[in-house]
Amino acid sequence: MSEDLLIDVQQVTLRFGGVVSLRDVSLAMRRGEILAVIGPNGAGKTSLFNSITGVYQPQEGSITFASSKAPPLSVIGKKTHRIAQAGVSRTFQASRLFSALTVFENVKIGAEDHRGIGVAGALVKGPRTRRGEHTSDKVAASMLRFVGLLDESNTVASQLSYGARRRLEIARALATDPEVILLDEPAAGTNPSEKLELTTLIRRVRDERDVSVLLIEHDMKLVMALAERIYVLNFGSMIAEGTPEEIRANPAVIDAYLGSSTEETSA
Amino acid sequence: MNLLSRSSLKRLLAALLLAGVVTLMTGAPGGYGVPAYTGLHGSFLERVSYFGLFRTQRWFLFLTLGIIAWLVSTYYQRHSLTIRRRLEPVMAIPTQVMQRRTNRWVLIGLVVIVTIFIPKLVHQQFWMYLIVEQIGVWILLALGLNVVVGFAGLLDLGFAAFYAIGAYATAWFTGVLPTPAPFNHPIPTLWCIPIGVGLAMVFGIILGIPTLRLRGDYLAIVTLGFALIIDDFVGTQSGLTGGGEGSLTVPKFAVHVGPVHYTWGISPTPYYYLCFLFVVIFLIAFTALEYSRVGRAWVAIREDEVAAESIGINPLKYKVMAFAVGAASGGFGGVLTAGLIGNINPTLFQYQVSVNVLILVIFGGMGSIWGVAIGAIIVQFVTSYLDNYQPWGYQLNDLYMYIGALLIIMMIFRPAGILPSRRRQREIQSFEVDHEGHLDEVLTGDEP
Repeated sequence: MSEDLLIDVQQVTLRFGGVVSLRDVSLAMRRGEILAVIGPNGAGKTSLFNSITGVYQPQEGSITFASSKAPPLSVIGKKTHRIAQAGVSRTFQASRLFSALTVFENVKIGAEDHRGIGVAGALVKGPRTRRGEHTSDKVAASMLRFVGLLDESNTVASQLSYGARRRLEIARALATDPEVILLDEPAAGTNPSEKLELTTLIRRVRDERDVSVLLIEHDMKLVMALAERIYVLNFGSMIAEGTPEEIRANPAVIDAYLGSSTEETSA
Repeated sequence: MNLLSRSSLKRLLAALLLAGVVTLMTGAPGGYGVPAYTGLHGSFLERVSYFGLFRTQRWFLFLTLGIIAWLVSTYYQRHSLTIRRRLEPVMAIPTQVMQRRTNRWVLIGLVVIVTIFIPKLVHQQFWMYLIVEQIGVWILLALGLNVVVGFAGLLDLGFAAFYAIGAYATAWFTGVLPTPAPFNHPIPTLWCIPIGVGLAMVFGIILGIPTLRLRGDYLAIVTLGFALIIDDFVGTQSGLTGGGEGSLTVPKFAVHVGPVHYTWGISPTPYYYLCFLFVVIFLIAFTALEYSRVGRAWVAIREDEVAAESIGINPLKYKVMAFAVGAASGGFGGVLTAGLIGNINPTLFQYQVSVNVLILVIFGGMGSIWGVAIGAIIVQFVTSYLDNYQPWGYQLNDLYMYIGALLIIMMIFRPAGILPSRRRQREIQSFEVDHEGHLDEVLTGDEP
């Protein structure tokens, strides 16, 4: 493949004891695209995300993240926080915000540079620490404006509505200055109007922030509206890849979905 | 009346049971051949009887109190909404007052002035010593452990080990142990502060790196083991540490910088001010730490380690940092104690000490710097008072029974401590929202 690859997943197999969660899965994500991974429940979508972000360690295959700023990073075996620092950010299926912190603090943590020690800086508050605080304050504010939560800055995260939580999670992920953002079912549990907002927001993430988007989603309307290409996972194997139109017409996909749940193809 | 409803009767049963337990707790000590119910008899001592109140049998007293509590709680259950609504503005007053910056500084100023004049107010040397040794040093220890337990959410059951390391390092470097001082060159006690702190910190890091890699409560077990080893080591290695006697001759603190020559002597007042200075430094430093990026990273890890990792926070690094800061504070407390009391021995660093410091942190409010400081003052003052005056027929070995009861009550009604950290309180609240219902609802019945 000669395109400008951002994430290259090559024949990855992930096992938990005797259970095969991912079997020989390959995925090529280009820089600047919105890519979706769909599939019935238990198909291994989140396992794939967890493998890319270093939470799980696949036994076979390779995953390469080609940053534009640094040499390509071989992901498998790396710690999650290293991969995040390299530019792969993510959100979670059930939103995992820091519920005791304010909306602003949640995003600010993401914007902060977590390298170095920082205890001495915290105690002395030298110019470098102050500059760092200032920068992360600015980044946090601009991210909150981007997702439309700036007015809620001082609200405690746990008091936000469901849709706002999802947006806050995206803001926190964006604050780490990533090159790609992995969204794990961003629309789960949101109402139709929130879904519409999210669709616009995700497209703006790519267009305005220049961050590529890798998406897991059950809501077919959202996926078809957003994704430029779609991968389909079923029982841990990649069964199809193509544009939304191709996927819609693919007999293997229709079969996989009809075999598990009819509702999901109805949209 | 719904006094005879199911949940009301359940509460009555609970009140009666509690009355029985309290009667037994306050009763005469048991012993071999003494049946347990002996504790149910007897009254409080006559010398503290007010209007004959305490001359009655204790079981009668507590039974009456239990029934009153039952009636009050039933009344409260029925009218809780109205009561809460009426009380809300009143309860909000302290927070409102404290939100004003000037008010906050006025309060801090008042506290500082009162603390400065305490030596003028307390005339007994005995109590001054107590304030320094039992309160001052313990505030520092509690503040240090609060970084580990409160900020980073790690359970450290072996804090006494670092306390011991600081104290014995001081004794070693000042040359008062059976082992000669390093390079045969004893140094002044004050210079032992960086050494004791550094040594404790190094031990903390060595212990932390392999342990904190694991998720779960391994740290609690490892620190517990470490504390037992250190305790045993200083107690039995007579050739190195002086064994059970320890050392009786740690030199006093002294400053000799340029024209300034000052030695802390026998009087407790100079030690009081020294301790006060360090408490202020600790308060300022740890507050700065809490609201720095390090403090925020600690909250992130405590709340959700996976999410923290996903935004580039290295949990191991920050946990080791918290643990090292805690260990360093423990070491600092050790140096201070050694220079203060002048004699150190293994009984000062027993396992019990780790638990005591942890109790101060839990009581004051995990993660709340001011809460922990105030909690340490209250608990240490009350226990010292009980130890030395033994009022109302209180017996020395009863202490932990009461502390245990106190902790249970705290966990039910005020799980975040007496002066909760705002962040911690929100965590508990959001946990309750997620898990629907709070313990006191579970205990007091199912009525709204």
